[in-house]
Amino acid sequence: MSAHTNRNVRTFIIDVFRWNLRGGIGFQLFRLLLLGCMAMGIYAYSFQARFGLSVTGMNDIISWGFYISNFTFLVGVAAAAVMLILPAYVFHDPNFHRVVIIGEGVAVGALVMCLSFIVVDLGGPLQAWHLIPGIGIFNFPSSILAWDVLVLNGYLLLNALVPAYILYSHYMGRKANEKLYRPFVFLSIFWAFSIHMVTAFLYQGLPARPFWNNPLLGPRFLASAFAAGPALIALILAVIHNFTSYKIDRSVFNKLRLIIVISAIINLLMLFSEIFKEFYFPTHHSSAAVYLFFGMDGHDSLVPWIWTSVCVNLAATLVLAFNPGKNNPKVLLPACVFLFVAIWMEKGIGLIVPGLIPSPLGEIVDYLPTWVELTVTLGIFALGITVVSWLIRAALIIEERYEH
Amino acid sequence: MNFGENKREGNKRTTMKTLMNGMARWLWGSFLLIPALLLVCVGTGAASEKKPFLDTIKSVDAPFDSRSVQQVQPVPQPTVVAKEEYQGGQFRVLARKEQIERHKCSNCHGEKEVKGKNAFTLTHGNVVVQHGREGSELACIDCHHPQDRDALEDKKGRKIDFDHSYQLCGQCHFRQKRDWLGGAHGKRVSYWAGERIIFNCTTCHDPHAPRFAKRFPATYSVPLN
Amino acid sequence: MSLQDNEKEMEKDKENKNTNEILADALADKSSRRSFIKNLSIGAAAASATLVTGCVPGADAAVSGEMRLRWQEFFKKNYRLMTEEEKEQTVSRLERLAALKDGLELQIGSEPPLPKVLYGYAFNITRCEGFMECVTACIKENNLDRKTHTQYIRIFEMEPGQLDPSTGDGKYFHEVPVENKFYMGTQCFHCENAPCTKACPTKATWREPDGIVVVDYDWCIGCRYCQAACPYFGRRFNWGKAEIPKEEITTKQHYLGNRLRPMGKMEKCTFCIQRTRKGRLPACVEACPTGSRVFGNLLDPDSEIRYVLKHKKVFRMKEELGTEPKFWYFID
Ligand code: SF4
Ligand code: SF4
Repeated sequence: MSAHTNRNVRTFIIDVFRWNLRGGIGFQLFRLLLLGCMAMGIYAYSFQARFGLSVTGMNDIISWGFYISNFTFLVGVAAAAVMLILPAYVFHDPNFHRVVIIGEGVAVGALVMCLSFIVVDLGGPLQAWHLIPGIGIFNFPSSILAWDVLVLNGYLLLNALVPAYILYSHYMGRKANEKLYRPFVFLSIFWAFSIHMVTAFLYQGLPARPFWNNPLLGPRFLASAFAAGPALIALILAVIHNFTSYKIDRSVFNKLRLIIVISAIINLLMLFSEIFKEFYFPTHHSSAAVYLFFGMDGHDSLVPWIWTSVCVNLAATLVLAFNPGKNNPKVLLPACVFLFVAIWMEKGIGLIVPGLIPSPLGEIVDYLPTWVELTVTLGIFALGITVVSWLIRAALIIEERYEH
Repeated sequence: MNFGENKREGNKRTTMKTLMNGMARWLWGSFLLIPALLLVCVGTGAASEKKPFLDTIKSVDAPFDSRSVQQVQPVPQPTVVAKEEYQGGQFRVLARKEQIERHKCSNCHGEKEVKGKNAFTLTHGNVVVQHGREGSELACIDCHHPQDRDALEDKKGRKIDFDHSYQLCGQCHFRQKRDWLGGAHGKRVSYWAGERIIFNCTTCHDPHAPRFAKRFPATYSVPLN
Repeated sequence: MSLQDNEKEMEKDKENKNTNEILADALADKSSRRSFIKNLSIGAAAASATLVTGCVPGADAAVSGEMRLRWQEFFKKNYRLMTEEEKEQTVSRLERLAALKDGLELQIGSEPPLPKVLYGYAFNITRCEGFMECVTACIKENNLDRKTHTQYIRIFEMEPGQLDPSTGDGKYFHEVPVENKFYMGTQCFHCENAPCTKACPTKATWREPDGIVVVDYDWCIGCRYCQAACPYFGRRFNWGKAEIPKEEITTKQHYLGNRLRPMGKMEKCTFCIQRTRKGRLPACVEACPTGSRVFGNLLDPDSEIRYVLKHKKVFRMKEELGTEPKFWYFID
């Protein structure tokens, strides 16, 4: 490898942009599509900026809706990057070492989406600076939301800086100093658990909402995250494997499948435990669950939603567990898609909305996101995918060059 | 692509082992990351161990000088000093006499009997007594003084001023009167602070038909969606 | 004499005074300096406006004045951290903004809590007949949004044998009272151990020393975590811009109370802080035709509320949560 004397931080950044602006026609179209989605999101958000959150489907009873649902789910996806870091750094699996950077890219993308969802959900986004310690007030440690802001930003930093350092070293043509970043990698492993636990505590710590005020919520968050996250990563790896020259070892997929299966089974176990508790001897604390699974007083908009989710979840888990195609990707990848979607349905809307229904005074209203919410969400997803694709593209180019 | 078709048993076992090891370590990890949160929880939990709030309130027995609140203005309605005391001593009630349309009654009801065509219907026709058990409602002179129409009379024959009708009402409605004196029935006029001025029985209740009439509520709550 | 000498002199002077005087001095000093700077900046703004437009600033100056007020409002502190002086400044800014923008003549107060006062509330479920006069009075007094029919108070028509409003009907509209039903009002209960204030990430909501749980509308970021944390549905959010007919606006306001709320902020019952801190009763208590609502100072052993607590059978909603609401239901 030659010495890259003419490379520095500036050329690094310029190169990252350069690589990302080039690409085949298909890639450019994909870019355009994402840009279009983001533009639509911004257009929809302009309504929200002008008329407030009244343009959403939320109201005083259902005070959190589609945004916070997606936020909650994506925290899980972000946390799931640990499922690649762990084998790579703790068990020194060389194959995982090659893909860990992809996992971190996904985590960064997911976190960007999480933070965007929080911001679009705020009634006063211009006042968000009140959260910054020093110039604002940070209600720490009493407010779990303050904890959440802290751990999310910390995780974002960890997941952005460590790979950035490694990539930069590789870009400069030298080996990254593992002693230097190893502590941070371990920190990020703990941190991954904490972001999801803290996000669960956000809900779990509210005695006002019996549906959430449940000690199983945190562990179940982790289990579902470690199923949905790796499922998404497996899909992204498959895309990379098929559409780029960066080939991914099969053993990675096999191990990911195992991780997904174990987590999904634990998740289902906990789900059934919860269902048992709610329905074996229903108390008035079970009304949210009754509303969710069976509907109440003629309000049943979530019933088909949750049953679809549970059935798809079950089917996908079974397929992944019994592996009928003997690791045939034509079977496993769709199963991953279905599992991902099922968990998104269950842990997004299926968790947030019924927690708020019936209201503490027993009133029931149905929630339907409006086009503004849907479009803004689409825009944020587009933003997240853009971030992920940019990071991964740059990372893969650097890695490939470094390997050769 | 078809990944992992030639996976060996051994490979599978080591993977499982690795995963199990991993799980164990995560558990340790979560033990390490949560102590801070736990500390906070225990801290606040211990704080809530203190004396029940109600006891704290009840232990305050130093009188509060509610006249120390500067901004209290005199109420516009005429008031009189009550003839009884509440737990805080003397208080005032809203005066009644000025409120009565045909006061003073002695303008008509003097020594002589009132004679005149339809005199009763014309002057008191609007009064429908719905006070007392249905079918055996009270008669006028159950409360009004038989001779001195400018006053009321209780069952013991004491003359009672219109401004102090609570003394009369209280002979049957003694529970309500006790609560009214203490503050659980009726209410204060405009201010919680300052000298205690409270509504008289007749400020809210029509003495001839003390029950509130049925009516539509002033507003309603709309469904939220 | 150089500036430094001057300062030394002043310090010598100060040493002779007691701390109180020094503080007062410092405050006065600061304010005069500030007003000087303010005057300067006004002058500068006017001058630049003249330069740019080339004519005497008329409407433009008004606009720039409004912009400056808004700017200062945007960067102000949390109400709890403001000095008395800063509180007065923000209140007068708010009044001027309202005058500039909507031609409203408001009197916004910043009365501090009264000493030795802790407010408490009791609700007589035997007496209430469901007339909802309290609700309309509250809407009027607290400038609640007429468009979305925001209501701090809810009244539930209850079946006998039940004490949980979730079993009642909160949407009744027929002649009341109905035989064999009773009525139960809810609102923010001003919990002593309030889950809502614990949840807020920016300390935009807190318990005042007199027990009232308030929101600083300008500090709130609108995350609605407090709303999720409240077990009593005590909080309302400004989903859109509140619409109140101009002639119906209650102009006597309090910074923490019924002043007009911006869009996207949390609001709630404040026990009519603008009234109660002046010794008056909350609007709902004053409006109640049946005397079902009892309000007073919990720290006054002779108060009506203490009488109720001492002599009546009382209970609080969801007592098992340990939130210690300062709102008791009682039975005659
Ligand atoms: S009733 Fe709700 S809003 Fe009011 S203080 Fe209690 S928790 Fe907070
Ligand atoms: S909505 Fe406002 S008051 Fe409520 S928790 Fe968020 S910042 Fe605090």
